[in-house]
Amino acid sequence: MSAIELKTVRKSFGVVDVINGVDLAIESGEFCVFVGPSGCGKSTLLRMIAGLEDVTGGDVFIDGKRVNAVEPGDRELAMVFQSYALYPHMTVERNMGFGLSMNGMAKAEVDKRVTEAAAALQLQPLLKRKPSQLSGGQRQRVAIGRAIVRHPKAFLFDEPLSNLDAELRVQMRVEITKLHRQLGATMIYVTHDQVEAMTMADRIVVLRGGFIEQQGRPIDLYRDPDNAFVAGFIGSPKMNFFKGTLRPDGKVGLAESAFAPALSSRPGDNREVTIGLRPEHFEIGGEASVALTMEIDLIENLGGNSIWHGRLSSGEKLLVERRGYHDQGLGSSVQVSFRPDDALIFDHDGKRLR
Amino acid sequence: MRPRTLTAYGFLTPYLLIFLAFWVWPIISSFWMSFLNTRRLPWTFAPQANWGRLLVDPAFANALKNTLIILVVQVPVMIALATVLAVLLHSPLLKARGLFRFAFFAPVVVGEVAYAAVFRLMFNYEFGIINKLLALIGIAPISWTSNPTAAMALIIIAVTWRWAGYNAILILAGLQSIPQDLYEAATLDKVSKTRQFLFITIPLLRPIILFCIVLSIIGTMQLFTEPFLITNRGGPGGATETLGMLLYRQGFLSFNFGYASAIAYTIAAIAMALSLLNMWAGKERR
Repeated sequence: MSAIELKTVRKSFGVVDVINGVDLAIESGEFCVFVGPSGCGKSTLLRMIAGLEDVTGGDVFIDGKRVNAVEPGDRELAMVFQSYALYPHMTVERNMGFGLSMNGMAKAEVDKRVTEAAAALQLQPLLKRKPSQLSGGQRQRVAIGRAIVRHPKAFLFDEPLSNLDAELRVQMRVEITKLHRQLGATMIYVTHDQVEAMTMADRIVVLRGGFIEQQGRPIDLYRDPDNAFVAGFIGSPKMNFFKGTLRPDGKVGLAESAFAPALSSRPGDNREVTIGLRPEHFEIGGEASVALTMEIDLIENLGGNSIWHGRLSSGEKLLVERRGYHDQGLGSSVQVSFRPDDALIFDHDGKRLR
Repeated sequence: MRPRTLTAYGFLTPYLLIFLAFWVWPIISSFWMSFLNTRRLPWTFAPQANWGRLLVDPAFANALKNTLIILVVQVPVMIALATVLAVLLHSPLLKARGLFRFAFFAPVVVGEVAYAAVFRLMFNYEFGIINKLLALIGIAPISWTSNPTAAMALIIIAVTWRWAGYNAILILAGLQSIPQDLYEAATLDKVSKTRQFLFITIPLLRPIILFCIVLSIIGTMQLFTEPFLITNRGGPGGATETLGMLLYRQGFLSFNFGYASAIAYTIAAIAMALSLLNMWAGKERR
């Protein structure tokens, strides 16, 4: 049985449809990440699961029980907010134990749970402090601690790392992933950052305009996207997209070259398509079979690897990612090449052709 | 001093002169005056004539007692009422919110004389709507301006009516600054609405409520308009005479400026002491 299940769930605010019929089953113990650009409905979907937003249509199930009309407090879920939502007038200890003691739990049990959570999150030295005396990362950990002490059926995270600086974000990413392994709990995590999605998720759900574009394991979404949106959204640096023509002989014309991608069917006549190629699939020089000429605009050297910004003879922009440090002359031309099997072909409406 | 700073003071000079002449000097001068016997010319240095009199003057004791009674009853009632009003005005269920907010704030904008006249009419023994309404539920008419207790009640009702909305708007601003997600977090933690109010809203409103209480203490200590205009100059027979009224009588009817100054300083000192006490009591324990 799935821990959380959504059946054709819809949400409208007045005449605006935010969620347009979402079907989703999240397994017990799964780390599921909702990802998408802002306005895609990912936070709304999470809040509907939490009960903070009403469901306009469809059904939400938790542990097989329909919860559309169940109060948020009775759903036994815990949520970590982007703003942390810590009670500013309470100490860390009180923040974590507040919900429990308000529901009549014995003080000894509250203390035990708070102590356990504080130990798991290295919060013991901070228990007597107020939120204003904590750093962003510490506040975040308190917010997570407040969720842990509840022993909820599932944890909901609403962009929890957005307010942290880059270094802390990486650190908390690792901590939350470890925590998931440690607790074995069901977690739903909302983010707009595809790096968080890729590194943390058991399963990614990509949302756009209130629809699920694709869901699956991170590596499957990366290697085998269903459409150009998912292909472009997942992966950093972004996938390159070029205009091309798929010919009846099964070959695709791209700039000065033509190649035969791995497609099971051929069109009757010439068809305008989009070719997707990841930056790391290019090699400098002509070792791979399909060669193109790139004029170099800029090279971003990150130390360990470098990102080449350039243009094809057709004027289309191109990103190439290489290992190591490179110092090629700007404005010069180089030959780049890729393997035909690495190219993904998308139809005019963005659907993947397989 | 740097030329830039000098220039700034140059521009400030006209203001500073007026500030010194009409603000700082009267404060110093009235303090000095409170030590002078001003009942007859020439004024002579005689501290016991004013400060000594304060201790034994039954009129002062009466005015102090009246002022403190009004303070002790009116301020808590009004702040509690203002908090409830603020919560109601904050409710998402309320329609025409702007209209209600204006309506509750309006008494502050209304001229004092007009407001006093309306209250006198409403609480008129024979024709007032209040006595008519009381009659409807079988209560005998109350002589609001000639019964000492009723007159005090009238003052308290009037002051509360005038300032509750003002304080509600201040508290509303405080309510609006409490992030919504605190309530969402508490809702998910299964904390009831009542407990959210008691354990989240009230503690977070504490600084603003404290501010309202201090403002109200200062205002009530200086109370003058209501006893002067509504209960016939502190009547009946001084039953609603406040320190503000006594000061007025001494200064502007008896022209005893020395004693009036002493009363003024006493009002300021009591207001300051009560406010400090209140701020100390309301301070968060660390």
